[in-house]
Amino acid sequence: MPISITFRYRGTIVGKYIIRRLLQIIPVLFIISFIVFCLVYVAGDPVALMLPEDASQEDILQLRESLGLNEPFYIQYFNYMVGLIQLDFGESFRYNTSALPIVLERLQATIELAVAAMIVAIIIAIPLGIWSATKKNSAIDVVATGGAVIWKAMPNFWLGIMLILIFSVMLGWFPVSGRGTWSHLILPAITLGTGIAAEMTRFIRSSMLEIMNQDYVRTARSKGLKEFFVIHKHAFRNALIPVVTITALQTSTVVGGTLITESVFSWPGLGQLLIQAVNTRDMAIVQASVFIIAFIVIAMNLLADILYKLLDPRITFR
Amino acid sequence: MSRESLLEVRDLKTYFYTEDGVIPSVDGVSFTIKKGETVAVVGESGSGKSVTSLSIMGLLDTAGKIESGTILFEGSEVTTLSKKERRKLRGNEMAMIFQEPLTSLNPLFTVGNQISEAIRIHQKVNKKEAKKRSIEILKKVGIARAEKVFHSYPHLLSGGMRQRVMIAIALSCNPKLLIADEPTTALDVTIQAQILHLMKELIKDKQTSILFITHDLGVVAEMADQVIVMYAGQVVEYTDVFTLFKEAAHPYTTSLLASTPKIHEQTETLQVIEGTVPNPNDMPSGCRFHTRCPNVMEKCMNNEPVLTNIHAHHQVKCWLYEEEV
Repeated sequence: MPISITFRYRGTIVGKYIIRRLLQIIPVLFIISFIVFCLVYVAGDPVALMLPEDASQEDILQLRESLGLNEPFYIQYFNYMVGLIQLDFGESFRYNTSALPIVLERLQATIELAVAAMIVAIIIAIPLGIWSATKKNSAIDVVATGGAVIWKAMPNFWLGIMLILIFSVMLGWFPVSGRGTWSHLILPAITLGTGIAAEMTRFIRSSMLEIMNQDYVRTARSKGLKEFFVIHKHAFRNALIPVVTITALQTSTVVGGTLITESVFSWPGLGQLLIQAVNTRDMAIVQASVFIIAFIVIAMNLLADILYKLLDPRITFR
Repeated sequence: MSRESLLEVRDLKTYFYTEDGVIPSVDGVSFTIKKGETVAVVGESGSGKSVTSLSIMGLLDTAGKIESGTILFEGSEVTTLSKKERRKLRGNEMAMIFQEPLTSLNPLFTVGNQISEAIRIHQKVNKKEAKKRSIEILKKVGIARAEKVFHSYPHLLSGGMRQRVMIAIALSCNPKLLIADEPTTALDVTIQAQILHLMKELIKDKQTSILFITHDLGVVAEMADQVIVMYAGQVVEYTDVFTLFKEAAHPYTTSLLASTPKIHEQTETLQVIEGTVPNPNDMPSGCRFHTRCPNVMEKCMNNEPVLTNIHAHHQVKCWLYEEEV
């Protein structure tokens, strides 16, 4: 048995819990795969877009036949599921190769962007949230809270375009689009990250405000502890619990934001791939992408649950 | 009784600045605690007992401010100390136990972490030494499996155990003054008796003074040497514990004593003090107790009595005793 299964944390076996939760994902993925298949099935005939406009009726029928599109719904679903179990989502019409490797390759770029954006968000939101909570109603608090509301209201695509306009076109500090070096990453990460930070700042602030009134914060002060440690050790760790949960549960929003940000900056990630695939009815790519995104969202929820338990000793792995 | 005084509070006024205006929670409170003495502060909710203790500890929240008055600790003024100097006193020279043992410990840190933290703030010891001392003090407060409890999280402990841990934290640096803000109110009667007994034991040979805040006269009789009765932010009677139970003078104190059920008397109804503590925003004129006082007179309504000595060591703030001076 691998070490991870018997790994104990605060007397409970974490590995078993994680394995059980992973097994619970399987039925969810089946349901998702069915929904994805149905969506693609009703979305319409891809053949019309795959052939030139002057293609003969015979060619169309032949292509339909070869792709298995003439089969009844349940046969098509069965074929799709047989492929799915082997992680085969079929061939991309556009790339003429298996869909999953293309999706996974693009996924790397998306994860790179998402991680960079999360780092930006955390760097901004944690100090700002704590600061505005501990200095409630001060000028800093008013600016931070007001700024968060305005920032949240700003659409990603508009912010992205404005940043490109100012920092790439006018100042020429960063490249306009594409992926490659660190400087390519900065503007998209700021676009996506500040949006997340706006939301996170407000969560941290309200969570901290609640915690700062708790009796144990007063106890910490009564020991003669420095205010810095009262805030960062005793209060912040407690305030972090709801913040971690909410942030992880917001993964779907972040994925949505990534789709838009990638389009604005021509970032060669999953979002851009998915949008192109939808436009060209490249169904294998659509199915593989949606499936992977769904898996990530589920995995992040699981991660939230695990983090929640690691942060709070009152909750056990059961 | 010519013991040296440890804490002297003189004409303390603590006001809260809220959106609804300034609230005078503590209004001119004076008392002295001698070394090794236990002084109980008695009063209903809202009488300013807790605010008095938080003022002494320097733990008022941002809305609360010491408006005037002096707090002398071992002869030196503490209200004008810098935040840093104040912190050095807190937890070290003066420590506090709170009312709610269930919420007063941080749920995310082990008991051991929270006790050794208190030790390590004030005493320059390493982690190992702090652990050793923590386990010692846990044993002292009557926790059987101290080693195990050291590594436990607070949620695994009962209310009584948690209050013992709080006492352990408070006493970890051998403070000269221990402020106990209703430490047994949230506990059931048997545990309450154990905790009171424990507190008495722990301070017996250490000359620790206690400021004991309570609304329970039974606890007063058990613990106190001196008693301060507070009403609406003011001291209305101040005497030693024997005088209080034998010859309470202020109508509020006598009403409080009369409303305590007695075990050897069968009564159908409990005696109560009519009405409630006045809203601090809207204090009655004259004597603040006149709206509820059974002995109210004409002059009580407009003229405020002063705290006067009716005997040696017995001060009362009431017009009934003005002639006796």
